[in-house]
Amino acid sequence: MEIEAKEIQSVLSGNQILKGVDLKAGRQELLGVIGPNGSGKSTLLKCIYRVLKPTAGAVYLDGTPLEQLSYRKSARQVAVVAQHNYYNFDFCVRDVVLMGRAPHKRPLERDSAEDYRIVAEALETVGMADFADRTFSTLSGGEQQRVILARALAQQTPCLILDEPTNHLDIKFQLQLMDLVRGLNRTVIAAIHDLNIAALYCDRLCAVKDGKIVGEGTPRELLTPEFIRKVYEVDAQVMTGEDGAIHILYHAQGKERTIH
Amino acid sequence: MGRGPGQKGLLPGVPLYIVTIIVLAAALVFSLLAAVTFGTMDLPLSDVYTVLLYRLRHALLGTPFPEAWAPGTAMHDVVWLIRLPRLVLAAAVGMALSVSGVVMQAIVKNPLADPYILGISSGASLGATVAVLLGVGAAFGSNYVGMMSFLGAFGVSMAVITLANIGGRATSVKLLLSGSALSAICSAFSSFIIYLADSDHATTQVVRWTMGSLAAAEWPGNGVMCLMAVGGTLFFLTQFRTLDLMLLGDESAITLGTDLHRWRVLYLVVSSLMVGFAVYSAGVIGFVGLVVPHVTRIFFGTAHKKLVPIAALGGAIFLVWADVLCRTILPGNEMPIGILTSVLGAPVFVFLMARKRYGFGGRE
Repeated sequence: MEIEAKEIQSVLSGNQILKGVDLKAGRQELLGVIGPNGSGKSTLLKCIYRVLKPTAGAVYLDGTPLEQLSYRKSARQVAVVAQHNYYNFDFCVRDVVLMGRAPHKRPLERDSAEDYRIVAEALETVGMADFADRTFSTLSGGEQQRVILARALAQQTPCLILDEPTNHLDIKFQLQLMDLVRGLNRTVIAAIHDLNIAALYCDRLCAVKDGKIVGEGTPRELLTPEFIRKVYEVDAQVMTGEDGAIHILYHAQGKERTIH
Repeated sequence: MGRGPGQKGLLPGVPLYIVTIIVLAAALVFSLLAAVTFGTMDLPLSDVYTVLLYRLRHALLGTPFPEAWAPGTAMHDVVWLIRLPRLVLAAAVGMALSVSGVVMQAIVKNPLADPYILGISSGASLGATVAVLLGVGAAFGSNYVGMMSFLGAFGVSMAVITLANIGGRATSVKLLLSGSALSAICSAFSSFIIYLADSDHATTQVVRWTMGSLAAAEWPGNGVMCLMAVGGTLFFLTQFRTLDLMLLGDESAITLGTDLHRWRVLYLVVSSLMVGFAVYSAGVIGFVGLVVPHVTRIFFGTAHKKLVPIAALGGAIFLVWADVLCRTILPGNEMPIGILTSVLGAPVFVFLMARKRYGFGGRE
């Protein structure tokens, strides 16, 4: 499945957040969306996963405009792991993951043995099988995030959208989660804050700043010290590690920084 | 793994909540049969059940009544025309209030919601008052008072949600304040109309509504109420998935394939029908929709697949026994049931409010 956004504009309470963004994630590609805070990354993803309606432009799934699909249909194509999942409820973990089956269900249909099997498998995949009977709200932030990922997996969609999925996770779970996502062989669009994580896992990166795409390419092509300077306004050094991956080292800004 | 949440069931292979539903359904029948023996008149047990047995045989086989137990005899009329309809009404009203409590809590994503606290019962009561005293809505036909109650309930539910959402997301505080403001407005108007009407009979009827009473139960009216209670419950039983999604919020629900807006309005209509007719037939009975779902959540969690049926049966049983208590607690007199449920329910409400980190059924 290919996801393509064309000429997306978004105006939220009078502010133009997105000023015509084009973006394309090819089949089974892991596309990273990077950019500073407030650049419009989240807004862009929300337009793609239909929580926001773009003011202009459209999103296409394999060439079909998203608006022509029912929510139920699009939820069978695209699953989402969003930023905030602090629900004020007491569902058990299994029930939360079972909700991922909702788009596959008719209103009167009962949960089948097959649904429970898919749920168990999803929990197994994220390493949370032992937590199935626990109450969701008693889990740590990282565990909750993995359960939400399991819910997205239970949706069995060809595409996955991750909105800063590794926020609030410690480094071990950040790597685990990204390893897992890369191993899924699905079309993935992920907003990622940490450039090192983005460089390590993404096939291609797309940088957003001030509501516009300011660069696109493989991590190695895109992440140059000049580019990082331009987008993030920090000095950095880009090195190639023994494993061949690129690593970004930041320089302290102490001397040049003006105190606000 | 993979068999669902039933591993710990009493019967192997049957989930615990299914067992609970069967047990509660049996308990409801037992409660009705046991409660029918309580009353201001001291009737021998065997006589009470003889009447019921003849009614059953009459209904199923068309067997005629023997002279001594026929309709018109004191024994028959007390059991069949006074006691039983009242208990059936209690069960139906309890079911309707509990289920609409569950649904409203899902709609506003807040476990403190309840038809009474959100002012929806007052709205229904105002609708009924306007209908009875001013004759408004007579065009709706024989059930016009019930329909006006429904419209009152629906109007207030929409108004509470709109008010609470002004200036950002609805919080508990805004919901409760909107609810009590609207409740005050509705009560004031009801009182004003009663004051102007100045009719003894009507005033008694209105007082009955504001304190709650099952005394006016009779079979024809029960039919409509049972239809609303059972019909509404069956409808919401089929909606467990959407109700669950409501607790996740609009954004998550969209990514899981459901746009909640339309459902919210539909659910408000159905639950207003349930509350409207409950208030029309039994008056304002507060806190049932708060206490019963809360207790159910403690034991069975938040998933609506379990919550809706268990709260429905629990509410029915609760109100049947509450009514028995009302009839027996004061010797020779009867306590309005709304007073009893408030005495029991208000402390639970205060307790829930005091626990700041209250989530849906336990900790946040």
